[in-house]
This record gives sequence, C-alpha cells and structure tokens, in this order.
Amino acid sequence: MSTTTATFVEVAKSRRWRAFDWQLLLYLLLLVGFGLVMGYSANYQAIGGESGLSQTVKTLIWTSIGLTLFFVAANFDYHWLQTFATPIYLVVLALLVATGLVGTNLFGAQMSISVAGIDFQFSEISKVLMIVVLAAFLASRRERIGRLSTIVGAGLLMALPTYLVYRQPDFGTAMVFVAILLGMLFMSGAGIGWLALLGGVTVAVAPVAVAALQEYQRQRLFCFLDPSADPQGACYQVVQALNAVGSGGLLGQGLTAGRQNQLGFLPVQSTDFIFTVVAEELGFIGGMILLTLFALLIWRVVSVGWGARDAFGANIAAGLASLLLFQITVNIGMVTGIMPVTGIPLPFITYGGSSMISLLFGMGLLQSVRVHSWKPTF
Amino acid sequence: MNRVTGFDSAPVPRPSRARFVAAAVIATLLFGVLAGRLFQLQVVDGARYAAQAVAARTVEMPIRAPRGLIFDREGRPLAVNTPSWTLYARPADLPSADGDRRAVLARASLLSGIGLATIKERLEAFRGSPFELVPVGTEIGRDAALLIAEDADELPGISVGAEPRRSYLDDTGERQGELLAHLVGYTGPVSRGELEELSAAGYLRDDVIGRGGIEASFETELRGTYGSELMERDANGRPVKVLERLSNPIPGKNLMLTVDSRIQRIATETLKWGLEAAGVAQGVTIVMNPQTGEILAMVSLPTYDNDKFAAGISAAEYAAYLNDPTKPLRNHAISDIYPPGSTFKLVTGLAALDEGVTTVAQHWPTYGCYQIPDAPAGQCLFDWNHRGFGPLSIVDAYAKSSDTFFYQMAVALGVERLGGWAEELGFGARSGVRLPTEAAGTVISKAWAQAQGRPDVFTGELAMAGIGQNAIAVTPLQLLNAYAAVANGGHLMRPMIVRGETDADGNLVREYNPEVIRDLAASDADLRTMRIGAREVVTTGHATNIGQLRVPGALSGKTGTAEFGTPTSQGVLPFHSWFVAYLPSQAGATDADLAIVTFTYSAVVRGNVSLEVIKYFFQEYFDLDQDLRREFQVNAN
Repeated sequence: MSTTTATFVEVAKSRRWRAFDWQLLLYLLLLVGFGLVMGYSANYQAIGGESGLSQTVKTLIWTSIGLTLFFVAANFDYHWLQTFATPIYLVVLALLVATGLVGTNLFGAQMSISVAGIDFQFSEISKVLMIVVLAAFLASRRERIGRLSTIVGAGLLMALPTYLVYRQPDFGTAMVFVAILLGMLFMSGAGIGWLALLGGVTVAVAPVAVAALQEYQRQRLFCFLDPSADPQGACYQVVQALNAVGSGGLLGQGLTAGRQNQLGFLPVQSTDFIFTVVAEELGFIGGMILLTLFALLIWRVVSVGWGARDAFGANIAAGLASLLLFQITVNIGMVTGIMPVTGIPLPFITYGGSSMISLLFGMGLLQSVRVHSWKPTF
Repeated sequence: MNRVTGFDSAPVPRPSRARFVAAAVIATLLFGVLAGRLFQLQVVDGARYAAQAVAARTVEMPIRAPRGLIFDREGRPLAVNTPSWTLYARPADLPSADGDRRAVLARASLLSGIGLATIKERLEAFRGSPFELVPVGTEIGRDAALLIAEDADELPGISVGAEPRRSYLDDTGERQGELLAHLVGYTGPVSRGELEELSAAGYLRDDVIGRGGIEASFETELRGTYGSELMERDANGRPVKVLERLSNPIPGKNLMLTVDSRIQRIATETLKWGLEAAGVAQGVTIVMNPQTGEILAMVSLPTYDNDKFAAGISAAEYAAYLNDPTKPLRNHAISDIYPPGSTFKLVTGLAALDEGVTTVAQHWPTYGCYQIPDAPAGQCLFDWNHRGFGPLSIVDAYAKSSDTFFYQMAVALGVERLGGWAEELGFGARSGVRLPTEAAGTVISKAWAQAQGRPDVFTGELAMAGIGQNAIAVTPLQLLNAYAAVANGGHLMRPMIVRGETDADGNLVREYNPEVIRDLAASDADLRTMRIGAREVVTTGHATNIGQLRVPGALSGKTGTAEFGTPTSQGVLPFHSWFVAYLPSQAGATDADLAIVTFTYSAVVRGNVSLEVIKYFFQEYFDLDQDLRREFQVNAN
C-alpha cells in the first residue's frame, strides 16, 4: 500500500489510524472554531467589521498550516525526535538568541521575527520544542530518574532558554518554561523531595526575577492584588477586564455586542485578554463551555500520556498537559483578577499564528505518540 | 515487546498512578477555582461590575444652548449666530508614518485653503490628549467644508465641524462691527485662568464668553442654560451614542437694545465729520430719551471692529488696537472721566437756587477777574470774557456762561453743598448703566483734598469746581444723565441700554422698565429756572447759532470747554469741548424726549467742535435743508 495513493478509508482502516484519537481532533477543532468566532468578534468594532474579517482570514490560514503540521506530525513516528534532541535544543537556543538580536519591537519587548511578512514569535515554538528536548532527556535518565542530578540536569537544560526569553523581556513565556519543567519532572517520576526543593528555590528566586523586571511589567504584575490602586494607570486593563467579565452575567451580551469590547476598553482584546470578550459576550455559560472544552482536551492529552508505550512519549504528553494547564489557568486567572498580568496567550483562542501553529504541531506530536503506541486488541 | 522500529523502546516503568491522580486533582482544583471565580464575577457580582462598566464608559456631555441674539430698538439684528466651519485634526487618528501624515495634512490644506504651515503650527502648539480635536483652521467656508467631509476616507484624522459663530452687523445688515462695537461688545474664548472659576457655572474648555459691551454685561441672559445628555464613549473618549437626554438646553435670551442703529449711524457720521474737520482724534456722542433714560445712541471714537474679534482676531491686529494712544477699545463715553467745564454750571446754578444762595431775580456783579476771598490781593480767577459782563441774574449768567458769577455761587455754597448737589445729580458715582467698565468720576469734597494730603479744599479750587474744572471729573454719560434729569422735571433715571427681550425675529416680548435712581431734591421752580437758562443759551446766549436750526421744539443746551495739558507751539492750550442739549416742546417744558451730548478731546481750533457736531447731528436727524456748520480755524493767539 502506497501512502501517497492511499484513500482516506484505506488510511482509516490501517492499523495506525485506527489508533488516531478522534476525540482529541474534535476538541481541537471546536476550540479553534471557538477562537475564530471570538477573534472575529473582538475585532468587529473596527470599521464595518472589515479588519475583523481580515484577522479571521489570517487565523484561518494559520489554522490550515497548523492542522497540516498536526497531520504530518501525527503520521510521523515521534521516536525519531528523540535522536534529534541535541540539534533541536541548539535550534531553540539559536532561534531565541536571534530573536533577541533582530527581533521586532512588540509592546516594548523584542519578541518576534518577521519571516516573509509574518511576525513569528519563536518563543511559542520553542515551548513545544523544549518539551521534546526535556522529554528526551528525562527518558534517557529513566533509570536514575529519582536522583538530584536529573533535576539539576533538566533545570540546567531549561535555564538557558528561560533566561533568553526572560531577557526579551517575555516574563510570561519564561514562566511557562518553568511550569513545563516542573510538570514534566513531576509526571516523569522525579524525586518528590528534590522537586519540592526545586519548587522552593523557584519561589525564592521569584522576587529577584520580579525585581529585575521593567517597571511597567512589575506594576501590571501586582494589579491583581488591588486593581483599584491605580485604575487609570497600570491596573487599567485589569479594572476594565473585570468590568467586562462581570458585565457578561449569566448569558452574556451576545456576540459582537459586548460594549467593553466593542468600544475598545480592552486594550489587547484579541490577544491576551480574549477571554474577557468570551466572558462579556457569551457570559458565564460561554465561559464554562470553553473551560469544559479545555478540560476535555487536557484529559485527552493526559490519557495519551497514560497509554504511551515509552517514557519519551509519556513525557511529551506530560509537557503538553503542563503547558496547556498552566497557560489556561494563568490567562483566565489574569483576566478574572486572581493572577498577575503577564503576557501569556490562551491556547487556540488568542489571536496569533505562532501560538496556533506551534500548539497544533505539539498536538500532532501527541497524536503521533498515541498512534505509535497503540496496541491492537484484535 | 519486540523491537519493531530499532529505536529505544525498552519497556518503561509505568508512570506512577499516584502522580497521575495528583495531577488530575491539581487540574481539577485549578479548573474549579477558575469556574468558581467566573461564577462569582458574572453571576454573583455581575450586576455590580456591569454598573461599574457602564459608569466608566458613559459620560455626561453638555448640549450647548444657542446664544441669544441682539437687536436694535427697531428690531434690526446686530449680533447673530452664523454657522462657521472649523477644520479639526485629531492627532491620534492621523497616519503615524511621516510621509502619509504629511500627505493627509497637505490635502487638508489644499481643500480648506488653510496654509500647511499654519496647520502644522497649530498641531504642534496643541498640548493635550492626542484624542482631542485640535482646531487647525477656522472660517474655512461652506464649500471647503463639504469637500473635506466628502473626502473623509482619504483624510484620516481630519474632520470639519460646524459651529455657530457670532457675526456683528451694522444698521444696514452688513457684517460690520465698527458701528456698535463698544455697545454690543464681542465674544471670545474662555481663558484657562478664567475656566477654574467658570467651570462651576457650566463653562466648557472651548466655550466662549462675552467680552465688553452687552455681550459681557448680559452674559448670563445671552448664554442661556446648557443642557446635558448621557453619552456612551469609547475607550479613547470619543462619544459613540446618546443614551439619555438629561436636560434640554435653554436658549439664551434675545435682547433688544434701547439703541436705534440708524441714530447711532447719524451720531457716528456727524461726530466723525467734526473730529476730522477739527483735526481731533477722540470724541463721544450719546443720545438719550430723558423721559426713560434709554440710550438711543452711544458713540465713542475711534472705534474697533468687534466682528474681527468674533472671527478670531490676529495677534498683530489686537496689538495695534492695544497700542493705539487713542485707545479704540475703550468706551470713552463711560470709561473715561473729563472735566465738564461750563456744562457743570447747571449743578452750581441749581444748588445756588435751591440752597437760597441766590434768587432768580437777584443780580450779582461779574468781573474780568474774580478776586479769591481770603487770598492775597491780586490772586484772581479770570472770566473767559476778560472784560466781565456787568451785573447778571442767574439765567443771564448761565446763558452767557459767566465764569465769575459761578465762582461766587460756588464759594457761597461751600464744598459740602456743592459736592452734595453734584452727587445728587449723579456725579461721583457710577450711573449703573449695564455696560462694563463704567467709571465713577470725582466731585469736590474735603475727602478729595485730604486724599491729596491737604486739610481742606482751597477756596480757589472750590471756585474752579463751580465751573466744572479742577476737582470735577465726569463721564460723558453722567453729564448727559444729569441734564436729562433736569429736562424731565427732576427724575434721575438709570441709563438703560437694553429695552427688553425679543423673540427670534426681534419682536419685543418682554419690556424692561425704566428705573428712577432718585427724584432730585430740587424744587420744580428751580429746575424750571435752569431749563429756561438752557433755552436762553441757545436763543440769546453762548450758542445762538444752533438756535437757527428749524428743529421741532425749543432746543435748549449748554456749552463747555476745559483747557488742559500743554500749550501748542503757538502757545495755545488744547481744550476739551462739550455741548449738551435736549429738545422740549417749548422753553422750560419737561417733555423732552431727545437729549444729546458731544464731547471732543483736545482741540486746538477756534469754536466749540462739539457744538458743530450736534448742529450737524440735528440737521441729519431731522433731515433739515439747513447747513449751519462753521469751518474750524486753528486757534492762534
């Protein structure tokens, strides 16, 4: 059977595709669809909804690229990646260094590189690639997983890219890296005592990292403690976001009808604060639907990890689950005023090609873990 | 498990079930917290946040009330609101790229006719939020405004706004402010400094306020009451839609002046002629109805064009007005005080009669030079007629304007009584006419002398005050008003400048009542004696020439001159000249409904310039086929 001429039915019938997690794909498509609709609404207020549409078209293009990568990655045996862990790591470092050197300025931070007219944030793809690198490292240490050297090694591996994104400065992505590291160490069976120690060190280092932040970042960070401290200044976003979320009520004000959103009171409503649009326009019910979709997705990711044939695959799943859980919690926590404001996108919903393509690629890897781990039961 | 792929796929130790459970618990907890928080924000506290959101994005916006119009007493519009188109730029909406920005501004300049440099200058001078509208060009014309509005897509950040602007019209309805500038005044933008106080009264940052004239003194009536509406605004502060009308604006009241712009025109043209013919720079004519105190005309020359102010006067033009030594921005009719000269003999004469210093029949000697009592021999005050007139009664003395007669009256009266009667007739105090910057003037008193560091007034000063020199300084309006009070039988009226309120077409709907300041303490007989005297001035006395005019009535009046300042190269002192007149049906009657004063400043020609001006005024006013005007000759000793 030649794969190039295989029909869908033949593919579907093949042993490999029987293992394909259709639920995972379904949740992804629903989330992407949800994001498309919200992205459209978030930009609707611009003249005639024209630019809202053009953003939607862009998102559709990115989603197509992402889904293509998803299927390519799913079809590709993820085991190969394990042998490329070192080159991948070097690529990540190179990309992040390059971003620091020639990156374009985005809200005061060098976070993206323009490729063929499209701004690409390498920090997004490096999240997924670092999951692969760490998964390979931890798999290689599965015999000595409980030792301190495992944690130190993983920590050192992660330290360099974390520092590089922190310097951009992209505090949010740096935190995501740390979260991935902790989540993967925990799920791969690292010594719980040492892990606790690492957690302690992280907490101890946090004030230093915060102190080194730019003033505007630091101010924003602490708004969640008391948004009324500076409602017109640094905490403006938080105050407006809370008003928008609260205005949504149970059922929401309707798509494209959220006044806070449409009148521009949510400064970055299509990116980091997209959830405020969901909450304002679709209400508590809409928010819960989105949360449920996220929960189902994470459940599928964890399930794949549980069923993985090897540690590498399981580690990849653990990393992706950590990434999703952390970003969802921090992003929604941020717009609902219980987490500090950091630039962390809401997976699949936030407008942005880098995040979309990277995440769908990551989900493709996960699908590959599933497909290539499946044991026929007949 | 077989090695099917060749990769390292040795059996893995199953991940710990405990850790999966722990991870599930953590994830569930986190999602639970998020869901709970959403429930709290949206369902429990939703209404509160919604209210906060509404409050944050709604703003109370004022609705401007149209400013009241101003008409003359015949219903001719003098101040109207005309739409004026202003070119605005909102810096935040202009293209950020330099080239695009320049192109947009250049196009706006081309369409509006406002110079590109001017637009850029005004944009750069603006200090404020980039979301505010910056007026970069005013008075751009209707066609330009339409072109720019049509081209809105090509001109991001550029807009035009129509705003009512004051236009000032003359008696013919032309846009010409010079005729009535001092009376009507003008409106101008509220300054930052004033705003602190005025904002409490509802004034807006880009509001206008009356400056000078009726526009200032009737500001409250003309402005009306602004309404307000609740508007939803976007995050940049741009109003998006009206949510609720809170209060309707109440338009300003339309006012009808007591002034007849046709009479104002005649008074202006005749005064202009006199000033030009005599080579005089400054002068005043006021016309009044003595029965009511209504001012029919008030001319102060030189004047200015208030319509220029309404359109936004240039700094150079404004500086020229300010630096002009003749002070065209000042209303000399009420804001400046001058010695009234012989016209003041009305006060001295009335006081002498009423205080019993003299009777009508009593004759007093007059002199070429009056020896000041208590002063060393030889210290005397000259009569204008250095030969003296011989014995005179008060009426003759008034008609011939004998100085030495009235020196004697003043000295016999004393400071208190002379000063008291001056005050009785309205001198030394503002008349209360509702025009800004009225001066009070001075009358003779002990306090006046003490203010100059002397225990009391010198007798010579008292004598001089009796003929309206030295201590006495009056506004032309005060002088006219005093004569009007005598002319109407003894009622000192509050000079009126606004007759009442009108509808939008200038029809009177509410008339203001004339107001009596006080009824004079003089007897009718004494008042009548002074009116007879004033008639004698014209028939037998000092101003007989004007008596030849065939005016309908017994023209009565009084001349006055007051030398002052430094002599000319010919050794002649310049002098102010006055003529004040009223027109009763017959000598001594109290039915005059026309009174007039003319004052000319610093003449060096023979004759009384003011008398000639009023002569000319009556010729024009009654359309007489007489021309009794005399030519002026430069006075040289």
